[in-house]
Amino acid sequence: MNDFSQLEAELKKLRPRAASPELTARIERALTEAPSTVAEVSGRTATAGVLPKRRNFRVNWFGLGLGLAAAAVFLLLARVNIDQPAKRQSVVAMTPAPFSPPIPVSDAFVPAGMTEVVYNTRDEGLHFPEGGDQPVRRMRSRKRETLKWNNPQTGTSLRVSYPSEEVTLIPVEGQ
Amino acid sequence: MENVVTHEDWKVCFSELAPGLVLFARQFVRTSADAEDIVQDAFVRFWRKEHSIENRGLLYATVRSVALDLLRRDTRRARREANAALEVEQTTAPQFDFDDSSQRELAAAVDRLPVEQREVLVMKIWNELTFAEIGEALAISQNTAASRYRYALAALKKNFVAHE
Repeated sequence: MNDFSQLEAELKKLRPRAASPELTARIERALTEAPSTVAEVSGRTATAGVLPKRRNFRVNWFGLGLGLAAAAVFLLLARVNIDQPAKRQSVVAMTPAPFSPPIPVSDAFVPAGMTEVVYNTRDEGLHFPEGGDQPVRRMRSRKRETLKWNNPQTGTSLRVSYPSEEVTLIPVEGQ
Repeated sequence: MENVVTHEDWKVCFSELAPGLVLFARQFVRTSADAEDIVQDAFVRFWRKEHSIENRGLLYATVRSVALDLLRRDTRRARREANAALEVEQTTAPQFDFDDSSQRELAAAVDRLPVEQREVLVMKIWNELTFAEIGEALAISQNTAASRYRYALAALKKNFVAHE
């Protein structure tokens, strides 16, 4: 700083111009009156990054317009995405797959037949039923019955097979 | 310290501070009349809020803020316009009273300084603020204020000698 001491002394010899006498009178008037300057009336506060800044609500039209534009673009893009297929397929994947007609679900089965296979018949002898006046011969048969339905539209068939047992009482004629 | 607003109080305080304040405000505007408007607005605000008059950093910050707000209100480009206005300040009214041509040259050299250096120089030389107070007023660090001051003196010495 010693290098600048002479220069600082020269600078201090420069005398700033005095404030005008009217300035003092104006300040005196301002201090005795209510806030009158445009800045004070409007609530504006000097800040310079040091003083706390009063927040004045102002509509930021530029920001508002920008926000609305962004929202419109977003909605437009969302609409486009909705209109497009949900899943994009590659060229290879878009090759038509082998045709396989859907199988219509139909309950139009019609009875196609019934088979009855007797596996065993056994004679269980004469029996005298209660309240009867004539003896009977009891024959027991074991069978398997099979029911079949066809669907003429599709050519499909349905088979139901189950075992069964049948007892037959044959009256015996007396001689 | 409370500011008890009596005529004697504020007049005593203001009479001591006024030349330096106007000179500081003058760095942002072209005419003394504009500078005095800024000082009036800033001083009234500062006094009404009952800030300590010893808080000179805050007082000069208020002056600077009012000046920048004024420029912003007028041009909506405060900083740019302030710089632009300061660049053409050579053609405006002088800020000092001169005794000789040497002082006139020195004042002209001060005018040619960049605004960042000039406002530090004005606060340090003619308002006798410390670097801490200057840092508070400009919202910069104390070291930055000191650096700007040294740069200002170096540039001033170089320019002033060149013009001699």
